[in-house]
Amino acid sequence: MAGHASVLSDDSVLSRLDRGLESVERKMAFVSGLGAFALMVLAVISVSGRNLFNEPLRGYVDWIEAAMPLIAIFGISYVQRTGGHIRMDIVVGALKGRPLWLAEFLTTLAILILMVLLVWGTWAHFDRSFDMSKPNWSRDSSIDIGLPIWPAKLVVPVAFSVMCLRLVLQLWGYGRAFLLGLSEPVAVPMVLSAAEQAALEADQVQGHD
Amino acid sequence: TEWNVSVWGKRRAFTEHIHKLADLVSEKTGGEFTMNISYGGLSKNRENLDGISIGAFEMAQFCAGYHADKNRAITVLELPFLGVANLDEEVAVSHAIYAHPAVADEMAQWNAKMLMTSPMPQYNLVGTGEPRDELAEFDGMRVRATGGLGKAFSAVGGVPTSVTSSEAYQAMESGVVDTVAFAQHAHLSFGTINQAAWWTANLNPGTVNCPVVVNIDAYESLSDAEREALDSSVPEAIDYYLSNYGALLQRWDEVLAEKNVTKVMISDEELAKFKDVAGKPIHDAWIAEMSAQGLPAQELYDLVFKTLEDTRAN
Amino acid sequence: MDSIEIGLWVTGGMFLLVVLGMRVAFAAAFAGLVGLIWIFWAKKGYDPEDFTWALTVAVKTAGQVPHGKVSSQALSLIPTFILIGYLAYYAGLTRALFEAAKRWIAWVPGGLAVSTVFATAGFAAVSGASVATAAVFARIAIPEMLKVGYDKRFAAGVVAAGGTLASLIPPSAILVIYAIIVEQDVGKLLLAGFIPGMFSAVIYAGLIIGLALVLPNFGPPVKGFTWKQRFASLPPALPIVAVVVIIIFFVYNPFGGDAWGTPTEGGAIGAFIVFLMAVFRGMRLPELKDALIETAKLSIMIFSIIWGVLIYVRFLGFADLPTAFSDWINSLPYSPMLILICILLGYAVLGMFMDAIGMLLLTLPVVYPAVMALNGGEMVSAADSTFGMSGPMCAVWFGILVVKMAEFCLITPPIGLNCFVVAGVRPDLTVQDVFRGVTPFFIADAVTIALLVAFPAIVLWLPSLA
Ligand code: NA
Ligand code: NA
Repeated sequence: MAGHASVLSDDSVLSRLDRGLESVERKMAFVSGLGAFALMVLAVISVSGRNLFNEPLRGYVDWIEAAMPLIAIFGISYVQRTGGHIRMDIVVGALKGRPLWLAEFLTTLAILILMVLLVWGTWAHFDRSFDMSKPNWSRDSSIDIGLPIWPAKLVVPVAFSVMCLRLVLQLWGYGRAFLLGLSEPVAVPMVLSAAEQAALEADQVQGHD
Repeated sequence: TEWNVSVWGKRRAFTEHIHKLADLVSEKTGGEFTMNISYGGLSKNRENLDGISIGAFEMAQFCAGYHADKNRAITVLELPFLGVANLDEEVAVSHAIYAHPAVADEMAQWNAKMLMTSPMPQYNLVGTGEPRDELAEFDGMRVRATGGLGKAFSAVGGVPTSVTSSEAYQAMESGVVDTVAFAQHAHLSFGTINQAAWWTANLNPGTVNCPVVVNIDAYESLSDAEREALDSSVPEAIDYYLSNYGALLQRWDEVLAEKNVTKVMISDEELAKFKDVAGKPIHDAWIAEMSAQGLPAQELYDLVFKTLEDTRAN
Repeated sequence: MDSIEIGLWVTGGMFLLVVLGMRVAFAAAFAGLVGLIWIFWAKKGYDPEDFTWALTVAVKTAGQVPHGKVSSQALSLIPTFILIGYLAYYAGLTRALFEAAKRWIAWVPGGLAVSTVFATAGFAAVSGASVATAAVFARIAIPEMLKVGYDKRFAAGVVAAGGTLASLIPPSAILVIYAIIVEQDVGKLLLAGFIPGMFSAVIYAGLIIGLALVLPNFGPPVKGFTWKQRFASLPPALPIVAVVVIIIFFVYNPFGGDAWGTPTEGGAIGAFIVFLMAVFRGMRLPELKDALIETAKLSIMIFSIIWGVLIYVRFLGFADLPTAFSDWINSLPYSPMLILICILLGYAVLGMFMDAIGMLLLTLPVVYPAVMALNGGEMVSAADSTFGMSGPMCAVWFGILVVKMAEFCLITPPIGLNCFVVAGVRPDLTVQDVFRGVTPFFIADAVTIALLVAFPAIVLWLPSLA
């Protein structure tokens, strides 16, 4: 399981692009977190409105549904940057050096292909709900209070596009590491495998005892 | 030819005409044309029209109220207090509206063609606590009702409250809502009847309209014999649906007695008052809004009442 | 090739990608997308001219899933439950709980370890995630146990095992995920987890007391707290009680009146109370910002698996694989109980190599319908069923069983996540140490699971009241 990972940096163009993109990604992740906070506030307003003033929040469910893509997807690229998406690392954990960078390059390439296709697919999903000639530009609305749905749908291709940029940078990083045979490449998450982590900790203990 | 059909939930009275249609079509074509009906496996219920538009499956059911902006023209059928008295009238009115060019145009934007309706009876209320049989008692009542129905209850001081249909039972139990508006089969399948102290037998505020559509390309690429088999089976499928739902409605009174639910009859006077505030003004607002968007709203609206008259004349 | 064969190939391919180290969320989505393209193209007889059409339809079908599936009121419980956990840490609730547990129960044999188990159980009532619970208590409980002479491996094992309670005792992110996948009532499932969670805690405690009585030089009891000290330890831990009471009352009113709202609201109100508490205890904007970003990261990680797997599930819908699997399982000439036990053992094996959430999400779409069919169908009544419970109750029971299995896998080698986390927090412990220390708890968990299988009433009593 990929736990915490560190991303190394230096003065190269790649590393500067990595850090530039990271500041954008971190803000997007913060927006996701704010969304989670807003859910909590929304519930407090809804419950107290209902019980104290017999005035529940109109369209409570619709608002939650509109906020969910922001919370669940908007910051996806930041998680990819820090290596936070879980995986099984029994195989990659056993690899080192060039074979490792090759494996990382290939799986990252597969993710990039997937995400490019999903940018297309989620954009089409947004586009079907969006019509400039209609009121609120809306061709799809929520069930209860008729909120236009296109803004929530637009969140997804936007987040996935940023994710594609991140994947391109990671491919660059892994490709470079593979070609140059680097041991500590910049701009990619340096994930310690289960075995490495354990070995490292064993070393530390020996050092201290 | 094999068609994939996307519906949702579980097999119930509301989907019986689709199964009947599949049987009939297969029978008439000697098994050449079959339908594979999937409950939720192919799409989310609110995205069935999207799936048709993409061409992921060939036939689907959806409800207009799930997404009014996708199907503005047929929302006329969900206006409160249209005065539709029974399922036969609901079928006649729906099919007349479906045949209107404005509806066909709007559906064509989704690459969809109307096939038939899934008629639902009026959405009456089940409620907890003391029966509410006067308009004044709807003031401050928390009601689970969406779209046009929600507007109707707001007009008399009710408080429409958002809960999903699957949470409706719990919302009633917990007092989040006092009343829930559903058709009878939904009161049964979502269990709201088990929480109820009373049911409005004649409030009849309106209903939800749920068509079955087919993908235009798929429809056009059927062989002549297959298309004929499909088109000719619709009336029979609808008849089957009506007799099946009729049996359910008969059982409804037994269910009420069994669960000791009071049948609330609202006086004509009170009903007339409700219609005054929640009928005409909401109708007028709908006509104004839809006309402004370039729909022949008045024409659609008049078509509803003309069809009702014609049906009753026969 | 028929659609079921395509389904099997794609499923095999997905597991291969997962084993090769592709992130689970994207491996599932990738397999699902390839499967959709394949199945649409097969429909057109693999005509080269129709490939573009198949690709377009598949991509657009997959493109509906991330927004469509994530926009759900029930799923909004997940970020809320995760947020509660982070806020509880800043509210100082972890230390308060441990302190109270220590003063009240550390006098029994194996006292501090037993206190740790009950403190983690208490924290479980505000935390929705096992791993977070283990991480927090590794910082607080292990040093105290080491101070009074516990074996460091055993101390670490207690924390790793205690952490798993967080996913049974509500709130629980993983129970919500189960409820979503199988489309069952979230409230009932959360209620159902409560007693098995407490039951697990009691069995852990019993095991520790037993060990302390048998083994010489086990950690000594900690005595000598005055009643005044004991009562003084309660107020700081009280918010936990408030949150538990509120969440319970929002799901089910034990006094027979109306519940106060829906589970979604209950979770959010609980989070709000903990938030106020954290502010009162000195949490300021920088800490809040950290808590929000951490909440976002964990939520997004979970949601990515959810939509990724649901793209694969959408493909399964077109391939009709779950029906085929369910028919196959039900045609096997073995007793349903034996099949169920084999399924649970299968989870134990799979869980040795996979993360709990990923494992459930990948397997439930196929396994759950088969289990329901074993019992006699989704709508079966208790009288007509195989396992003696109605369809909805069977869904609850099986949910608790698989979640308990998934939790069991958090402490099993080689990839028991909780053990890695504990070792990660404590530089003086290796993963091997933690695995060795946690071994006795395998037995406790095996006993618990056997009892839950043999006596479903332990799981079903509480939800049957609601
Ligand atoms: Na918990
Ligand atoms: Na494991």
